[in-house]
Amino acid sequence: MMSFIKAAVGGICRAHGHQQGYLKVLAAGLKTYDIPPDYRDVVLPEKPKLKFIEKVPNLKKVRRGMKRLRDIQGPAQAANAFTTGQYAIVAMGGGYLHWGHIEMMRLTINRKMNSRTTFARWRINSPYKPITRKGLGQRMGGGKGAIDHYVTPVRYGRLIVEVGGKVELGEIENILIEVAKKLPFPAKVVSRESLAVLQQKQIDMEQNNQNPWTFKQIAWGNMLGIRKVLSPFDLHNHGRFTGKFHFPGRV
Amino acid sequence: MAATLCVKLLPKQGWLPFTQSIRHGSKAVTRHKRPVHFLKRKLLAVTQYIPPTRVVPKGAYPSETSRAPEDSDLVIIMKKDLKDLFQDCKMIAVVQNNASSAEDLLILKHKLYKHNISIKFFPNQVIRSFLSDTIYSNMTPLFIGPTVLFVCKERKVKEMLSTLRSSPQMTLLGACIDDTLLSVKGVVSYSKLPSMSVVQGQLVGGLTMLTSHTASMLQRHPAHLSALLQQYIKQQSPGSAEEAT
Repeated sequence: MMSFIKAAVGGICRAHGHQQGYLKVLAAGLKTYDIPPDYRDVVLPEKPKLKFIEKVPNLKKVRRGMKRLRDIQGPAQAANAFTTGQYAIVAMGGGYLHWGHIEMMRLTINRKMNSRTTFARWRINSPYKPITRKGLGQRMGGGKGAIDHYVTPVRYGRLIVEVGGKVELGEIENILIEVAKKLPFPAKVVSRESLAVLQQKQIDMEQNNQNPWTFKQIAWGNMLGIRKVLSPFDLHNHGRFTGKFHFPGRV
Repeated sequence: MAATLCVKLLPKQGWLPFTQSIRHGSKAVTRHKRPVHFLKRKLLAVTQYIPPTRVVPKGAYPSETSRAPEDSDLVIIMKKDLKDLFQDCKMIAVVQNNASSAEDLLILKHKLYKHNISIKFFPNQVIRSFLSDTIYSNMTPLFIGPTVLFVCKERKVKEMLSTLRSSPQMTLLGACIDDTLLSVKGVVSYSKLPSMSVVQGQLVGGLTMLTSHTASMLQRHPAHLSALLQQYIKQQSPGSAEEAT
């Protein structure tokens, strides 16, 4: 684009005479006429802002449950694809979101976004998992503690908040990154295309791996009796996850 | 009694052992990264991702090994000195010195100074890299081991050889005299050559031999010359008479 303009300007100048050979085209202030994106098909919902999420689920009977830490483990199977929005915050690790995090996200995004051009949607449930705590200074024993608060478990690859509307990534990126940094797990701001790129990159890595040995092969075949130190979780996830952590370089 | 014992030991089908060999440290999901078993660490190390090698077209990047290391400033100075040396001096001899003490070197230097021959010390690497670019590249095999350069602006080979004979540690390896590379034998035969004036005289004498002979004959008494000519005719005529018969 720039080279075309320079060639045109240079050609015009050269046409004037041999003395114009020293003329230099300064491209700094030249305007480029890129076609702006088309937002005709975008429909903004009635309530564009993030809705309020309750701290406590309204259940008739409240039951204390087991820890079940496996709701953090491994990759997400639910809510890991885009629905209405264009940009989202995606979790790059496992963790629990409690009401404080959710409120922080809601307030920041609602304050900073322009409700006439953008809308935002939750992709997580309201907190439903009870976390119990015993009183301060209590000794071991004496039964399970009382419910302290509720949390939402989040796995790797789950979308937290989806944003869409008549905006480009550059406008919305700042707001979402500000929010993503404050989450208890590593999170990233993605668009539809960039998420597809990430997923494709993982597939490409698996395909063009030059290492003849893979974790999957060795674990499945129980070579060297390695299942003694591997769990069924490792077998499913091919060594890419440990607890709530994800290893991006593993294939 | 044995039967009742067995019954107690195996209360129901599919029993679990009372003690499990799991060290109760932390659970599977922790806030910190759990220490990984050594064997699993080895497995993760072996099964790492190896990316495919980038196919770079030949000549796109300069190869890492072919870049010659840059010369330091001292080396540049030494090379300049060497260049001047090879330009000015007509005789450059390469001598190997094996365990000559400082005193011996001092005596040698004094002896050679009288004949205007100087001793030069240069590192072999510097000389080799310098010579490889010049016309004297065939001299490079000489510079192995503890070598020393004897340089002189005149061609004082005889004096140099006599001085070297006196010091047993110094061994002549070769010399470059007048841009000609000479081995030890060549140097010795060069020293035995007569001087330039003598050689020129010999050449002139050889060329003018016939004319000088004629001139000397003419200078003698004419009777001698006539006698010689008569003998010559006699030689010629009997020779022709013998051939006819």
